[in-house]
Amino acid sequence: MKFNRIFSLFAFLSFAVALPAQDDLLSLVGEPEAPETHAIATFKGTRLINFHTLEVPGKRTLDFRIAHRFGSFNSGWYDFYGLDGGASIRLSFEYSYDGRLAVGIGRTSLDKMFDGFVKYRLLRQGDKSKPWVSVTLFSGMYYTILKDPNKDANGYDKYEHASSRISYCHQVIVGRKFNEHFSLQIAPVMVHYNQVQDFSDNNDVYLLTAAARYKFTKRLAVTAEYGWRFWDYTRTKYYDSFGIGLDVETGGHVFQVHITNSLGLAENQFYARTNNKWANGGIRLGFNISRVFTL
Amino acid sequence: MKNHFKVFLSALLLICITDLVQAQRLFTRSANVSFDATTNSSLEVVDAKTNTGTLVIDVPTGQVEAAVLMKSLLFEKALMQEHFNENYIESSKYPKGVFKGKLDDATKVDFTKDGSYKANVSGDLTMHGVTKKVSAPVTFTVKGGKVAAHTDFAVVLKDFNIDIPSVVSDKVAKEAKISFGGDLEELKK
Repeated sequence: MKFNRIFSLFAFLSFAVALPAQDDLLSLVGEPEAPETHAIATFKGTRLINFHTLEVPGKRTLDFRIAHRFGSFNSGWYDFYGLDGGASIRLSFEYSYDGRLAVGIGRTSLDKMFDGFVKYRLLRQGDKSKPWVSVTLFSGMYYTILKDPNKDANGYDKYEHASSRISYCHQVIVGRKFNEHFSLQIAPVMVHYNQVQDFSDNNDVYLLTAAARYKFTKRLAVTAEYGWRFWDYTRTKYYDSFGIGLDVETGGHVFQVHITNSLGLAENQFYARTNNKWANGGIRLGFNISRVFTL
Repeated sequence: MKNHFKVFLSALLLICITDLVQAQRLFTRSANVSFDATTNSSLEVVDAKTNTGTLVIDVPTGQVEAAVLMKSLLFEKALMQEHFNENYIESSKYPKGVFKGKLDDATKVDFTKDGSYKANVSGDLTMHGVTKKVSAPVTFTVKGGKVAAHTDFAVVLKDFNIDIPSVVSDKVAKEAKISFGGDLEELKK
């Protein structure tokens, strides 16, 4: 009798220990270790509307971009609100081998502008941990092959020295993907012109820019960007660049359609020399298409 | 005296039982997992891999549990990986894929004897927030006390609320082939 009792007690205890744990076997070996991941797709592309985003093409990725801006809405019925003329286009290639350092070249139709740029992802926002922000550095160089239209009238060529054709843009882009929907970036920008338009103009222009997106479905997001020119650098009437847009993602490429007051597509054009304003309909329809290739 | 002997015997039996139970859990935290949604017609390979899958088997009951972190699955193409996480599997909302099931014929597999054993596992697969019953053949290979497990099965992505837009329907298959396998170790607690 005694034996039976002891035996059943032991038997009960042994099963009591062994059984409950079986309900969740996975907890016995612990959570699968999370790989070190970064916040992905803070923005859908390397550009939002005109502004560069903090994104750099992925590893061994070539990003071919076509950007097009129509003429302004206030050109009226005769020019069919910008469809007929005054458009600008930009083709560019951006490549990154390691997903951090990217180099790019581009050609913008306005001012017959060639450009080359380097972009470096200095800091990547962690998925759930630090760092809280991503930081990307950008430096671009711009070269116009425009002929001086007033050469004969003035008696001199303002592009006599090739260096006069060059301008630069540098920016530090700091941004954060707050959640699945909302991302924001702030970027101090400096643009330097080797040759200015007026004697009293400054060669250097400083701006503070902001760009944001709100993703409302898996494949659609609304975007906005604004460049605040707090610097007094010219007597010519220019305006802050402002654009709103829609990002549409379709499998292999991203299609961005937007409305902006900037015609130029290079940094030395839209940041400091946007000469249309929203108030009088100086805005235009534009789109960017990005197609990526893995090389 | 006789009673003492019986107590000793049952204590010994108890040790044997608990020892048996504890030794009979097999696990790995480095299972090779692949998720392949390549279509026959496309040149583009849609294939993600990881070697950080988790698998635990409770031998006496035949219970099987496995898990994969979606973000650990790596694609060759950066954009493909971004799309997989952002648009298809939505890994920040549904970070894990989990299988909880049972070996249908656990007794057929002798984990102590060398050989190759085929068994069937069935249970619940949770992916993208949806739980579905799945069933798959598993091959256990026992060699020199080491156990390896491998399984291949396919899931219809639509069943898991993962929709493939028509523009990429020729590039992303409707069915994903999932393979899961690894060398198991004894779980000591």
